[in-house]
Amino acid sequence: MPVSIDYVSRETASNLWRNRLMTIAAILTVAVSLSLVGAALLLRQGVAHATTKWQHGVNVLVFLDSNITSTQQNSLQQELTALPYVRTCLYRSQQYDFNEARHLLPPDEAQALTVSTMPASLRCVLQDPRQAQAVFDQFHGRPGVQAVSYPSQAVRNMEQVTKILQWVFFVLAVILLLSASVLILNTIRLAIFARRREVSVMKVVGATNWFIRVPFMCEGLVQGVMGAVVAALVVFGLHWLLDDLASSNPNSVLFQMRMPVAEVVVTNLLVVLVGLVVGTVGSAFAIRRFLDA
Amino acid sequence: MIRFENVTKTYKAGTVALRDVSLDIEKGEFVFVVGPSGSGKTTAIRLLLREEVPNAGRIWVAGRDIGALTNWRIPYLRRNIGCVFQDFRLLPNKSVFENVAFALEVIGRPKHVIASQVPQVLELVGLARKRDNLPSELSGGEQQRVAVARAFVNRPLILLADEPTGNLDPATSQGIMRLLDRINRTGTTVVVATHDAGIVDQMRRRVIELDHGMLVRDQERGVYGYGT
Repeated sequence: MPVSIDYVSRETASNLWRNRLMTIAAILTVAVSLSLVGAALLLRQGVAHATTKWQHGVNVLVFLDSNITSTQQNSLQQELTALPYVRTCLYRSQQYDFNEARHLLPPDEAQALTVSTMPASLRCVLQDPRQAQAVFDQFHGRPGVQAVSYPSQAVRNMEQVTKILQWVFFVLAVILLLSASVLILNTIRLAIFARRREVSVMKVVGATNWFIRVPFMCEGLVQGVMGAVVAALVVFGLHWLLDDLASSNPNSVLFQMRMPVAEVVVTNLLVVLVGLVVGTVGSAFAIRRFLDA
Repeated sequence: MIRFENVTKTYKAGTVALRDVSLDIEKGEFVFVVGPSGSGKTTAIRLLLREEVPNAGRIWVAGRDIGALTNWRIPYLRRNIGCVFQDFRLLPNKSVFENVAFALEVIGRPKHVIASQVPQVLELVGLARKRDNLPSELSGGEQQRVAVARAFVNRPLILLADEPTGNLDPATSQGIMRLLDRINRTGTTVVVATHDAGIVDQMRRRVIELDHGMLVRDQERGVYGYGT
């Protein structure tokens, strides 16, 4: 089936122009649908980032007796640091904890505190927050240790919530993608239906199926890619907007959800790829019923 | 050139379009297929183009059993058959030249062939001066001439015309028939399905009459109605 590149490019360009209303409709459909898909993917990534960041912030606090000897304290610190799932372990003096408590607690409660009532502590950041229980089991009740505290149930709850959230956004993206495909397919079908006369003329003068199909597929490809590029720009804009909003509110959830631009680029490449495939395959599929079996 | 062997075509709804039809058309013949609407003329043409397949019997075109063609060979069958329809079927947004050139482009003819063949055939149908007009700017007769030019431009073995004068006045119809006659004299087999008694009576060519899907008459140098 010799289909000349010259013919296909000429035919594709002129068809896109002649049916520009349909072209715009198809491009907008792709753009809107894929923007939603991209946004859902972006949210999912954001949640994933927030989770990781939040997990890195999980500390296990080992509160020390006030009468602990410095050798006991050193050996405890060394033992903790040696554990494979502990990232860092820092010693905080009574004074440091006192200052922090005064900073964190409401003033009336903070007034009751004195430096000597505050315990010194070892603050350990874990590689894997799920190991907090193990640290607790190992150091709870050891000589010199007053108490071991870790956000046990909270960790698990939060983990579950973020996992569910990630799944929700993923499923949302898949559903949006499916409905986008159907919408895009339908638009292409309409465009081809409007030109069934042309297809029937092509058949009657002896055009092969591929000869008829290829220009339509190229059209679908152009429409799909153009729509997807618009969607990618929307996703970029959204990311930029949220990032801007986040950087001015460092305490917000948005700040936790920040991600590197490279990741947005990958998501957008995916969006463009989806547009390309859906446009091309959709056209091939839509033209099928106008061709010989 | 064309042979029907006991061809029967029944549509899904149960209508019998052709009933055990057998006929032979030789190379270079000019044949009218006549009969009232619903007699099976259009079905016969659709079968020849293999837009439909018969329920029984075989059809041969240029020595080939077209029922045995694989799907991908069907376009090559159609390249040997030029086709003209009652409603012209021109592409409304292409010029006269482009409409005719389209038939060559579709079968992959190189540009220089298109550049020499299309003006030649437009000259033949008498539309050389309207080559850049759009179909909407032409009269019905002129549009049908463009359709004839498109059907003939790649010199097919057979030219089929399904009610080619159905939308035209008698004088214009005569012009189209003269054109088909000229094409026939180049050696092309011409088959015209029509219920236009005037042109059949005037041309005095072979007449095949169908009625309710059955072949009821096959007459050399016939007229539309019985007799003579």
